Amino acid sequence: MAELTGDLLDRRAIRLAEEAADRDEAIRRCGEALVDTGAVHPGYVETMLARERSVSTYVGEGVAIPHGTLAGKDLVHRDALAVLRFPAGVDWGGQPVTVCVAIAARGDGHVELLASLAEILLDADRARALREATEPEDVLALLVPAPEDSNR
Amino acid sequence: MATRTVTVGSASGLHARPAALFVAAAGAAPVRVTIRTGEKRAVPANSMLSVLSLGAKQGTEVVLEADGEGAEATLDSLADLLARDLDAEEPADV
Repeated sequence: MAELTGDLLDRRAIRLAEEAADRDEAIRRCGEALVDTGAVHPGYVETMLARERSVSTYVGEGVAIPHGTLAGKDLVHRDALAVLRFPAGVDWGGQPVTVCVAIAARGDGHVELLASLAEILLDADRARALREATEPEDVLALLVPAPEDSNR
Repeated sequence: MATRTVTVGSASGLHARPAALFVAAAGAAPVRVTIRTGEKRAVPANSMLSVLSLGAKQGTEVVLEADGEGAEATLDSLADLLARDLDAEEPADV
């Protein structure tokens, strides 16, 4: 059932009890999850920090989508996502962030998934469910578009 | 109703940095602007989540619409922004 994200979102890259003192540390934690699952070269993390300094990746509803700059694309081994939850929140340039959906992308295969994420966040109930998720299964159930009999 | 049909020019599509720049420009416009892709309903162009939900990639056609004074000029500048490859402009533009 997780076919669609199966390739993109490794279960080991879903980390729901993270802590970070500030935005940079949160981004480094996100980068580590992508490095640990073999999605990116460690150098990619610096390009994620550079991107954030250029334009905030905060998208709303307590969610940010850290990712590297275009220059970092060569450091991506495969397109992948990581979902990190910071229950205590992280100050993201004045906005409180609870969930980071980190992105490693060479192509545009993740765009549909980002679109699904945005649809979820536009729905107040599902946005809250994502912020409060404590099990990887909860996150997969939310992010993976279910067939016909949607379990929303 | 002013309308512009534009092909997204940014390499990474209409998300990430290009989306952030577009949403900021739409938010600063004097009129309310909507954006849609062919099969989806129009959404507010000044909402990051709404724009992301379109899932527009490089080469996707999007339609901008606005009403009122300044609508034509606003859409001209937003259409120009969308058509450019904002990713390619990254180092000089921030």
